[in-house]
Amino acid sequence: MSSALLAADSASAVAARPARRWAVGIGGVLGLVVLLLPLLAGGYWTFTLGVCFANAIAIISVSFLVRYAGEVSIGHGVFVAAGAYTVALVEKYLGLSLLASLPIAAVAGALLGIAFAFPSRHLSGITLAVATMALALALPELLLHFSSVSGGYEGLYVKLDALPGVPKSLQRYYLPLVGLVGVVLLLRHFRRSRQAMALLLIRTSAHAAESFGVRRSWARLSCMALSGGIAAIAGALLSFSSSTVSPNSFTLWTSIFLLVGSVVSLYSLSIVGSVLGGLFLTLLPLLLAGAGDWVPILYGSALLAVVLGFNAMPPGLRARLEGRQT
Amino acid sequence: MADFIGLVWAGVVSGCLYAMGAIGIVLIYKSSNVVNFAHGNLAGLAAFLVFGFTAGTFANMAWGTAVLLTLVIMVAVMSVSYFLIAPLVFKSDLTSTIATLGIGLVAQGVTQLTFGANVVSMDLPLPAWKMQLGPVRVASYDVAVLGVTALAIGLLYLLIERTRIGIAFRAVSANPFASRVCGLNLRRVHLFSWVTAGLLGLVASLLIVPTTFLSSTTVSSFMLQAFAAAVVGGFSSLPGAVLGGIFIGVLMNLLSFYVSAEFNNSYLLLVMLMVLNVFPKGVLAARGGARV
Repeated sequence: MSSALLAADSASAVAARPARRWAVGIGGVLGLVVLLLPLLAGGYWTFTLGVCFANAIAIISVSFLVRYAGEVSIGHGVFVAAGAYTVALVEKYLGLSLLASLPIAAVAGALLGIAFAFPSRHLSGITLAVATMALALALPELLLHFSSVSGGYEGLYVKLDALPGVPKSLQRYYLPLVGLVGVVLLLRHFRRSRQAMALLLIRTSAHAAESFGVRRSWARLSCMALSGGIAAIAGALLSFSSSTVSPNSFTLWTSIFLLVGSVVSLYSLSIVGSVLGGLFLTLLPLLLAGAGDWVPILYGSALLAVVLGFNAMPPGLRARLEGRQT
Repeated sequence: MADFIGLVWAGVVSGCLYAMGAIGIVLIYKSSNVVNFAHGNLAGLAAFLVFGFTAGTFANMAWGTAVLLTLVIMVAVMSVSYFLIAPLVFKSDLTSTIATLGIGLVAQGVTQLTFGANVVSMDLPLPAWKMQLGPVRVASYDVAVLGVTALAIGLLYLLIERTRIGIAFRAVSANPFASRVCGLNLRRVHLFSWVTAGLLGLVASLLIVPTTFLSSTTVSSFMLQAFAAAVVGGFSSLPGAVLGGIFIGVLMNLLSFYVSAEFNNSYLLLVMLMVLNVFPKGVLAARGGARV
C-alpha cells in the first residue's frame, strides 16, 4: 500500500487508447450480462448475486478507509450491522420500506462512524485497528442485551417490498446492483473533489497537509463518517436481500472477512474489483458448504497469497494493477 | 468488603494471564512494529496441541512431555509465521498487520479442522489444595498462576537485561536504523521476539484453560483482554503490559460483579478508548519511567 495508490489513477486516464476501447467493449458486454442475468438464471443465483453486490459495497467501505485514510479496520461489521438494523427497525416501528430507510441507514452509519472516530481521532493506525476489533466484539453483546428492540438471537425480518409490483427476487437483485453502481459513481465523483484531495494530501504527507490548514483529526472523522455511511448502505441492502438480520451475521469474523475481501480485491473502489471481492466472500462458503472448517484456512491463505504476491510483483506491474483498478 | 477483596484477588490472578498475553503482543510490536492479531489463535492452537498429545488425538503422553513437545512445535510455528510476513515487515507496518490476520485465520482453521468443534476440558497436573486466608480463598491453581507468571516475567527480565540478544532487542526497539548501522541482525531480533511471544502464549493458554473449557474459540476470545492490557500499558512498554494486565483483570472482575456480566467486551472497548484519550502513550509514560 504505497501512497501512490491513488496517484496512479490519474496516470491511467491517459493510458493507451486501443486498450481503453477493448476495456469499454468488454465492460459493456459484462454489464449487459449482469443486467439481464435474472431473466436467464434461476432464483438461487439471483439471490446469491444480490447478496454478493451488497457485500461488494461493504468491501468498498473497508477499501475506502484503507485508500483515503491509510487505516485498516477489523470492525466494519458493526457499521454494516447499523445499516441492517436501521432498515429492520424502521420497518418494525414505522412500517416504511427500504427506499425510505436507506437514507436513514446511511446517516445512522455515518453518525456511528463519527461517534466511534471522535474518541479515537488522535490514534495512529495500529491502535485504531485494535479499537475497531473491540468494537466488533462488543456489538453482539449489545444486540443480545437489548433483545426487546433488536430481536435477540433470532433477529428481525425485513419483509416489505421496496418497489411494489416487481417480483421480490428481482428487487433483491436489482436494488443492491443499483446501490453498488451508485456508490461507485459517487466515489468516483468524490475522488475529484477538494475534500478527497485534502484527505489524500494528509495520507501522503501529514506535515504538508497541516501546514495547509488541513487537520488530521478532521480527516479521520470525515473518512470514518463516509466509510461508515457506505458500510451502512451495504448493510441496509444486505438485510433487504437476505430478508433477515441477526447478531450471528455480525461477529468479529464478519468484519475480518470483509477485510479479507477488501485485500483480495486489492482495495479496489471499482465495480469489477469490489464484485470480485464480493464473489470471493459470498461464493467460497457456498462452494465449501460440506467442509466449513476449510473456509478460514482458505480465506487466510488467500489473504496471505494476495498480500505476499502483490509485494513480490515487479514495481511496474504493481503500479499498473493499482492504476487500472482504482 | 469480603466480596471486594475476593474479587480483587481473583482479578489479579486472571490479570497475570492477560499480562502474559499482552507481553507477547508488546514484544512483537516493539521489535517489528507489527500488531500480531494471530496471537490468540496461535495460543489456542498451542493449547489444543497439548490436549492432542495428552488425550490421545495424536498420542497419550505424560503432561510434561506433551508440553515440551508443544514448546518445540510452537518455536517452529512462530518461526514459520514470522518468515511468512518477513518480506513485508520493513515495507509497511499496516500490510504486515493485515497479514497476521491471515495467519490467525489459518491457525483458527487448522484448529477447527484437526480438533473439531468439540468442547473439552484440560486440567493442570496440580494437587487439589486450598487455603482460606481471611476473606480470600487461595487454591493451588492461583498459586501456580502467580508463580509461573513471576517466573516467566523474571526469566524474560534476565533475558532482556543480561543477554546479548536481549540487549540487541532493546537496541532495535529504541532505534532500528541505528541498530542496523551498528551491524545488528534485525531479523534475528524479530525472530527472538516472535518465538518468545509464542512461548508466553502457550504458557498463558495452558493456565487459562482450567478456568473455562477448551474449544476452538475460547483462548482466542481472551485476545481482547490481552490487547486491552497492552493498550493500557502504552503498547510499547513491557512493565506497562504487566500492570495493564492486572488492572484489566481486576477491573473486569469488579465491573462484571457490581454492574453486569453481560458487557465484558463493551467495558474493554470503553476502557481502551478512555485510556487512549487520557494517556495516549500509556499509563507509565506519564511518569517517564519504563525502560524495558
